[in-house]
Amino acid sequence: MISVKKVNNRPLNLLERIYLWEIARGISVTTRHFFVNLFFPKNILTVPYPEKTIPLPGNALFRTRHRLKIRSDGSPKCVACFMCQTACPARCIRIEAAEYAENTVEKYPAVFDIDLSRCVMCGMCVEACPEDAIAMDTGELPGGALARPGMKMTKETLLRNIPGTGDPSAKGAANRLADEYSGGLE
Amino acid sequence: MMDFFAANKDMLLFTGAAGVKLLAFLGAVMGFTALMTLAERKVSALMQDRIGPNRASVFGFAFNGLFQPIADAIKMILKEDFVPGRAEKLLFTLAPFFALIPILALFAVIPFGDYVMVFGYRVNLQIADLPLGLFFVLAISGLAIYGVFLGGWASKNNFALLGAMRGAAQMISYEVVLGLTLVGLMMCYGSASLQDMVRAQGRLLFGFIPAWGVVCQPFAFVLFLVAATAENKRTPFDLVEGESEIIGYFLEYSSMRFAAFMFAEFLEIVLISMLLATLFFGGWQVPYLYETGFIFPGGAQLPLNHYLVTAMQAGSFAAKTVFFSWFSLVVRWTLPRFRFDQMMGLCWKALLPLALLNILITGAVMTILGKL
Repeated sequence: MISVKKVNNRPLNLLERIYLWEIARGISVTTRHFFVNLFFPKNILTVPYPEKTIPLPGNALFRTRHRLKIRSDGSPKCVACFMCQTACPARCIRIEAAEYAENTVEKYPAVFDIDLSRCVMCGMCVEACPEDAIAMDTGELPGGALARPGMKMTKETLLRNIPGTGDPSAKGAANRLADEYSGGLE
Repeated sequence: MMDFFAANKDMLLFTGAAGVKLLAFLGAVMGFTALMTLAERKVSALMQDRIGPNRASVFGFAFNGLFQPIADAIKMILKEDFVPGRAEKLLFTLAPFFALIPILALFAVIPFGDYVMVFGYRVNLQIADLPLGLFFVLAISGLAIYGVFLGGWASKNNFALLGAMRGAAQMISYEVVLGLTLVGLMMCYGSASLQDMVRAQGRLLFGFIPAWGVVCQPFAFVLFLVAATAENKRTPFDLVEGESEIIGYFLEYSSMRFAAFMFAEFLEIVLISMLLATLFFGGWQVPYLYETGFIFPGGAQLPLNHYLVTAMQAGSFAAKTVFFSWFSLVVRWTLPRFRFDQMMGLCWKALLPLALLNILITGAVMTILGKL
């Protein structure tokens, strides 16, 4: 059953049909906002981003800046399989693979760059990752920059942990087995 | 050579004074108009609890966005000057000039002060004191339609043409109301020269109320405000532009040609503000301030230097202009747009009869008072 909301539009009275008084009332509202904001700028809600940031509201699960998870031994979980680079519709990920000297079975990314000026924050890389190594849960919104190099995130930035939360990446479900296999601390 | 100077001393002095006045006044107007483009964005931002542009900086000093007009101008100059392949090249090029030049010409008749004595030479603070200044204003502002219509027609774009047709219909309609509204004022002050009208507004009614146009003709003030806003093609009468629907007559324009249209619109705001101040708010008059200083209704006097008086009068005119320019911005960001039939109905069914009624009442009152 569709509920119908009846709107009772009463006919305009004379003062409202002349319209000038209503215009004066509208202008009084906007003028009040103008002068209040002119003399007390604290009321303005705008955040002068990226110089200043505010915490994201609530427990919102936004897709935010990427990070690369790390294992309990400090090495990146990423095995440089190029899945995310292939899945990326904006082609903003650049990976160069390298081999561990002592472990020729597994690769690691020697270079892992994300060009944030091209990234569309779609989360495809997170979906594509077979190792659950890349995540978009840092709660940071990537900042603006005056030149293109400023928008490029390197491996060092991506491996940075979230301050105040310990090391959540070590608890990744998919890698528990790998940690157990390698006699990890977990 | 010296004979030439001696023989034509008056003419040369007049020319020199006119040149200096022209540079100073038009310079001030242009500077203020450039700031108006910033003010439009800043005022709207503050009204909507935002900050507005504040990033354009020179050597790291932004002054909260003061350099934005310069940044805008540089951007406009560097943009591609695009002409559509099917456009009428000549008319397409001419249209921005037709939009800009009539507006600029109108600033000549605006009195921005009484007079100033420079080395014993009396300089009137008005570029051209035409005896029929008011008719000059109406005639030349009517030419501004050419800019709108040529721009829309020469673009060979249906939306631009639609905007131009709306513009032409709107401007011609409201021109009529604008003219009839001013008739009441001319009857009141007995002159069509803007300087004479301002001087007449220095008198006092009942010994203490300044005889400003808004006091003598309050009804005409409201009509003029509405008609002038429509003539200016500003919200709530911006159907010519209608950003969200047809973009308007300058749809195909880019680069500095577009900037010329935009600048003409902002110049028109300043011009309308100056006309409102001149016709209805005493122009450069300060209440109770005369050539020799303040003379208050009670009889108290405060004699002042001639230069101080002139500076106060020019400052008063500037303050009124700034206020009405600000008011125009506030109106624009407060009201929604009319429908086209509502707008034409307002003009022909409401404003025009009211303007005629205003003339009738003014005439009747003046006959009763025996001043006609």
